[in-house]
Amino acid sequence: MLPESSLAAGPGTEVAETLLKAFVSRGHSHFTGVPCSLLKGFFRLLEDPECPAAYIPAPREDSALGVASGLAVAGARPVVLMQNSGLGYSLNVLTSFNLIYDVHLPIVVSWRGHDGKDAVEHDVIGRELTRLLDVFGLPWTVLDNEHPEDSVEAFLKQYDAGRNTAVLIVREGI
Amino acid sequence: MLDIRDALGALLERESAALTVSTCGYITRDVYNIRDRANHFYLVGSMGMAAPIGLGIALAHPDRRVLVLDGDGSFAMNPGCLPMIAEHRPDLVHVVLDNGAHESTGGQRTAALGDPAAMALAAGYAAAHTVDDLDQLAALDLTGTPTLVRIRCKPRSHPAGKRVEQTPQELVKRFRAHLADPAAHLEAV
Repeated sequence: MLPESSLAAGPGTEVAETLLKAFVSRGHSHFTGVPCSLLKGFFRLLEDPECPAAYIPAPREDSALGVASGLAVAGARPVVLMQNSGLGYSLNVLTSFNLIYDVHLPIVVSWRGHDGKDAVEHDVIGRELTRLLDVFGLPWTVLDNEHPEDSVEAFLKQYDAGRNTAVLIVREGI
Repeated sequence: MLDIRDALGALLERESAALTVSTCGYITRDVYNIRDRANHFYLVGSMGMAAPIGLGIALAHPDRRVLVLDGDGSFAMNPGCLPMIAEHRPDLVHVVLDNGAHESTGGQRTAALGDPAAMALAAGYAAAHTVDDLDQLAALDLTGTPTLVRIRCKPRSHPAGKRVEQTPQELVKRFRAHLADPAAHLEAV
């Protein structure tokens, strides 16, 4: 039985807590990004004054990657969060900074439009998301909300302690 | 109006210990050719990202001062980052070298820029200034940060210097070595 507060916060809250704990326990100290409704439980945790990590809200996804890149260059361990719609803005930073300086980041990307039944603005990026990631050689894992620890483990293995820019795709909402 | 190399030379001398991030194109090449130091971090791409990257570096090293060298074109590309920077009150000096042109791509005029200093103040920077010559630049009090300094410059009359010779990976490695041991690496090339 979940405590009432968790129920009120939505069924994905426990998954979000698992995810945050997994990052924090591995030394990820700073989170930045632009919210998505599929990630709202995670952003609620980041906005909590008791959150053990720093949260830096960004105006746009490319600027979030910029801040995270500066943190990573300077030795911190950031995490970037965004909706898949933000990947377009992000491609220039990924291709002309992260992938050529080998300053790699873990990126959590929601998957609006994955089933073709979402709002129309998500149709194209939803249909092409994984293909887009494959084009740029970014390894990805889809979060299994039933087994979040396994997904995070697989994702962080792809991230390989900063050797790859890897993407954790959130499809179900957390 | 200043020769951009004189402006950069004065800034690099005045803020010689600052962690310095330069925007892509001719500004990175000018800095590199004036003085190449381990506390410099050159962008060769990602236009508009010098200031967000500078913020990230400042957040990771709040004890260090950060100098961001933007052009008017790269500033115009990402003024949305100004309030984000202001929110965190970093010890960051954000310079806009404004010659009104995208010189690396052939000198085309930049999009309308507005007043960068007024924008920075509206975004919450502690201070912002516009200067036209070296005396005005030297007279600035840059203790309250973040601060923006718009320096009005002439179009370049000099040929672009050579491109940065280190690989991007080597630049990262050198910068991290400097952060780990600032005294030993400040003057290292």
